[in-house]
Amino acid sequence: MAATGRLTQTAPPNQVTLLRVAIIVTLLALWELLARSGLLYSDVVPPLLSIARAIIDLLSHSGYYYNLGVTAGEVAMALLIGGGSGLVVGMVLGANRFLSKAFEPYLYYLGPTPKVIFLPIAIMWFGIETPSKIALGTISCFFPVALNVAAGMRQIDNVLIRVGKSFRASTMQMVTKIYLPAMRHPVVNGVRLGFGFALIGVLLAETRLSNKGIGFLIVQADSTFDMPRMYAMLIVLFVLAIGANALIGRLGGLDSIKRV
Amino acid sequence: MTGAAIRAPRTGRYDWAPRLIGLATLIGSLLLIEFLIRAGIINRYVAPPPSEVIASLYRIVAEEHVLRRFAFTAGECLSAGVLLTVFGVAGGVLMHRFKLLQKACETWVASVAAAPLVIMYPLFLVVFGRNALTIVMMGFISGLPPAILKTIEGISATRKVLVDVGRSFNLTRGQQFWKILLPASLPTIFVGVRLGLIFALINIVGTEYLINYGGLGSLITDLAERYDLGGTYAAICFVILVSVVFFVALEWIERWLRPAD
Amino acid sequence: MTAAAPGDGNAILVADNIAVRFETAEGPITALDDVSFTVRPGEFLSIIGPSGCGKSTLFNVIGGLLSQHEGVVSVAGEAVSGPHPSIGMVFQEESTFPWRNVIDNVAFPLELIGMQREQRVERARHFIALVGLDGFENRYPGELSGGMRQRVSLARTLAAEPKILLMDEPFAALDEQTRLLLGDKVLHIQQQLQQTTLLITHNITEAVQMSDRILVMTYRPGKVKRIVDIALPRPRTSAIVGSEDFGRYVAQIWNDLREEASRGMREEESHALLGDTTP
Repeated sequence: MAATGRLTQTAPPNQVTLLRVAIIVTLLALWELLARSGLLYSDVVPPLLSIARAIIDLLSHSGYYYNLGVTAGEVAMALLIGGGSGLVVGMVLGANRFLSKAFEPYLYYLGPTPKVIFLPIAIMWFGIETPSKIALGTISCFFPVALNVAAGMRQIDNVLIRVGKSFRASTMQMVTKIYLPAMRHPVVNGVRLGFGFALIGVLLAETRLSNKGIGFLIVQADSTFDMPRMYAMLIVLFVLAIGANALIGRLGGLDSIKRV
Repeated sequence: MTGAAIRAPRTGRYDWAPRLIGLATLIGSLLLIEFLIRAGIINRYVAPPPSEVIASLYRIVAEEHVLRRFAFTAGECLSAGVLLTVFGVAGGVLMHRFKLLQKACETWVASVAAAPLVIMYPLFLVVFGRNALTIVMMGFISGLPPAILKTIEGISATRKVLVDVGRSFNLTRGQQFWKILLPASLPTIFVGVRLGLIFALINIVGTEYLINYGGLGSLITDLAERYDLGGTYAAICFVILVSVVFFVALEWIERWLRPAD
Repeated sequence: MTAAAPGDGNAILVADNIAVRFETAEGPITALDDVSFTVRPGEFLSIIGPSGCGKSTLFNVIGGLLSQHEGVVSVAGEAVSGPHPSIGMVFQEESTFPWRNVIDNVAFPLELIGMQREQRVERARHFIALVGLDGFENRYPGELSGGMRQRVSLARTLAAEPKILLMDEPFAALDEQTRLLLGDKVLHIQQQLQQTTLLITHNITEAVQMSDRILVMTYRPGKVKRIVDIALPRPRTSAIVGSEDFGRYVAQIWNDLREEASRGMREEESHALLGDTTP
């Protein structure tokens, strides 16, 4: 992606792998050294073995999967509601210059504000149960999806729209056969971002007001000062989040379609 | 020129009409909410009337040391911003300079950008303690990946002809970097820093709220725990206002740095 | 001034008194004024004019993509409002869908009318072969050259089997040799299908090579300056470019056009001097 049209001598792939392994091994060794040296509290930097044990322990208990399921379900709902409404709003704003000029500035500036500050409001409206968490996830993911779709809509090559019109495509056909495929990259990127934000929203809500879900488990590990377990949960969570992100990109066909 | 044939007749030089409609809609919906709450259709204990929120805005500024809290949060943002600019750009330059390193690590950096780093706050709390350092570090690490990635992208996308111009003048490697690559990639680098600052601000205010420490974020926790409804809503509005001002200021700086566009 | 009378009983397409005026910040601009002509079935008519004569505006008016105009365009006696099923448009810009392969690009209009997949693939293959792209059915536009992509657009428009083929400088973005060869292809197809064709161009050779009649337009406001009958024998190929008659027609049309083109150039220069970049 980065090496656009430049002379990059292609390093043999095994050299890259070698470097990667070397970096990982070095980092792990440093970590282990730090853990054993006693320079920091052993709790802050636990030995690798205890983290590995905690990961195995975590993955072999069904309780973790239940909480994972809770969080995944909430994120999915948030993505469905927030992403779906973001898609519709984005398309309307992208198609209509007037509405875009009237309302998009508000979305644009509300987009980057930290959504977690709305948690007190969500609690007042929806109580301290699942709906509150979904609500926070929903508003977190609405903005990136809406803004990306609106921008993507405006980037569509005008001639493609004129082609559709010249063949007298209906509005529905225009949406499904021209608009959506023509802006699949911004849409998929918006959904990817939206997923990330929805996940953050749900997790943070869980740390504050829940007794289930991954966010709750992490806070629980924190309050019992079980550091290996906390590291284990963070590692597993990050691997899952990165995997899901890559999966959305793959499903969206970001790699499989020949030309931008 | 021929392609621009279809164009709606221009109504005027300024877009005052849509802006007015947008503003009117905003004010209209606030009035509607005010009415619904006063009429008892929306529960007053769930959402206070907008007029009360506006009155509280003044109250919290006067009573809750909002300016001091604002300065505190702004200081955190500034620290995180300086850190992520320095380390992000340096990291990007380093990775571009050593191609092997870039090949090995670029996807890692991109992956880190996709992980919900903010959930590491309990860990940071243990490592750095319940203080401003934790908050600044949360902001810093969340803003670092985009700064690195955009720096690499910017330098790599420098037009080859510019690099060749440099070579034709026999520039040294250092001159090539300072006189050609860096200025050419500055706009993209700025985009990365801006993106990093957005993530940093989100995580800073978020962490303040979550650990109930420091500036504006913790003000919301305080007021919500006192069940000061008007105050909570007012504080939220204030945070939104601050982030809007923050991003408008960023845009000005960006425009000022790149007058050519 | 031999603009054929509107209402010609034989005509398949009639443009009657077309005028288009735009409001701009510098005041109103008349892009087209008093444009009237007819197209007979099976005829190849070219509209030629200098840059800025409103050719593309006319293209959009006839195609029904620009509704703010005066006058009437009618197809087979029926007034056109909006894109008409009898008119197939080929655009100047690259207009293939990058996310569809060649077959699915060409089958696009058939898909819109709900034709079964098998049937439309078969139809698409026929038109792909017609433009000489057989063997490339499963390629994506990104893998094709500019000339090939333009042929895909042509096949896509032909697949809808329009009564009138309307083209806006379809070869403008191509190099000279590709342009000539592609012109041959279009000419061949047009003669084979007896396709009524309306070509908008600024290229005199191209226009003389292909047309039965050429309509020369004036620089802004775009008006009909002259309609020239091209009495060259058919079937034609690009080989005709060398003939004496051909040269005579080119010279005659260039004579008309030079006046308009240089007037356009002067006006644009004076605009540029005044710091006005919007032509």
